[in-house]
Amino acid sequence: MSALAYFLEDEGLPTVAVSVIRLQSERLGNPRSLWVPFELGRPLGTPNDPVFQKHVIRSALELLEAPSGPVLLVDYPHEDPSAADRDDWFPPFNFAESIPNPSDGVQFAAALEDEMQTLAPLHRAFVAATRRSMVGESGMDIEGCRRFFLAYLADPAATAAANPMTWVPWVVDDLRYYYLEAMLSAYPVIPSSRQLEGWFWDRTGLARGLLALRSKLITHNDTMTRFVGERALLPGPQRHRLGL
Amino acid sequence: MVRMTELTPSLQEAVENGFNPTFEGKPFVLGPSLSKRRVAVVTSAGLSRRGEPLFRLGDSSYRAIPAATPASELLMSHVSINFDRTGFMRDQNVLFPVERLYELAAEGTIGSVAATHYSFMGAGHPAPMEPYAREVAERMKTDDVDAVLLTPA
Repeated sequence: MSALAYFLEDEGLPTVAVSVIRLQSERLGNPRSLWVPFELGRPLGTPNDPVFQKHVIRSALELLEAPSGPVLLVDYPHEDPSAADRDDWFPPFNFAESIPNPSDGVQFAAALEDEMQTLAPLHRAFVAATRRSMVGESGMDIEGCRRFFLAYLADPAATAAANPMTWVPWVVDDLRYYYLEAMLSAYPVIPSSRQLEGWFWDRTGLARGLLALRSKLITHNDTMTRFVGERALLPGPQRHRLGL
Repeated sequence: MVRMTELTPSLQEAVENGFNPTFEGKPFVLGPSLSKRRVAVVTSAGLSRRGEPLFRLGDSSYRAIPAATPASELLMSHVSINFDRTGFMRDQNVLFPVERLYELAAEGTIGSVAATHYSFMGAGHPAPMEPYAREVAERMKTDDVDAVLLTPA
């Protein structure tokens, strides 16, 4: 049983969990679970599809009316239609064609600045359209994030705070979210998450810089710095796809 | 879509060989019909509001998120970067479906929506999470919640 389900139920609160990894649900034995065949990060399926999402929620909440248990584990029968790649999505930018090697600090910094300036109006359009942004973890504006990232890439030791895990992931999140949000408003077709992440990791200078930083950190002497390199820069699916 | 064969090998291994907590007993609490229940969301996606402390590695505590919190105030600082963020980027309801709960309440499917919802950061050890989870339970009971929808990242 998952800790949260157990503790809440033990306190007298009926719970139902939406689950994205079936084997985990089988092993945890939550009082009630609805397994959904959706990607990690989207337990209710399709973004901006209230009808679909409410069907998932209803299917989960209805398990609360089962007269006996535990353990109840039900499979949700429908796929998320937004998970499929779109063959009519064409990413308009391929920065990687002209990006210098990140080891060439001055030229790489200039190219990264150009890249982000190209994306700036698209990011503003995303924020205007959605009235929100996930950027903001680091507490710095995006220019500050870029400068911090470049300084850390140039010399991790010189800019390392006591524990890089307390701030490097937030700077990297802010930068990556900035790119992905910009790209979401760059083309009228909404791509799958795989296509978006593939664009980011294959075609942007920032990703090239992140991969260069990762190479530096995963052999670093400091354990926590090494941990940042291994865990906080390159998502697992991309690590697997890129064979790293 | 996520089936075991679609997870990366490292995540497959983590699921297959990972730590599975065991607990005393198997509590199973019943309640009134769904149309009379007051529903809260408890997510393990590592959400917090702008200006609050973000989740850090090893953080077992929780953040209380008032139901009226606009999506623009939500940040996600879960230390795992292995799950999709672009769905949440487009629509917070993919894992924090408070708007959908209000619609279900208006349709009469559920009774009402909790005044406050909660976020933890999943994938941690259960022991340090226990006092926080029990505290959240008390807070929800004060709010007359009698149904909890748990959503992962």
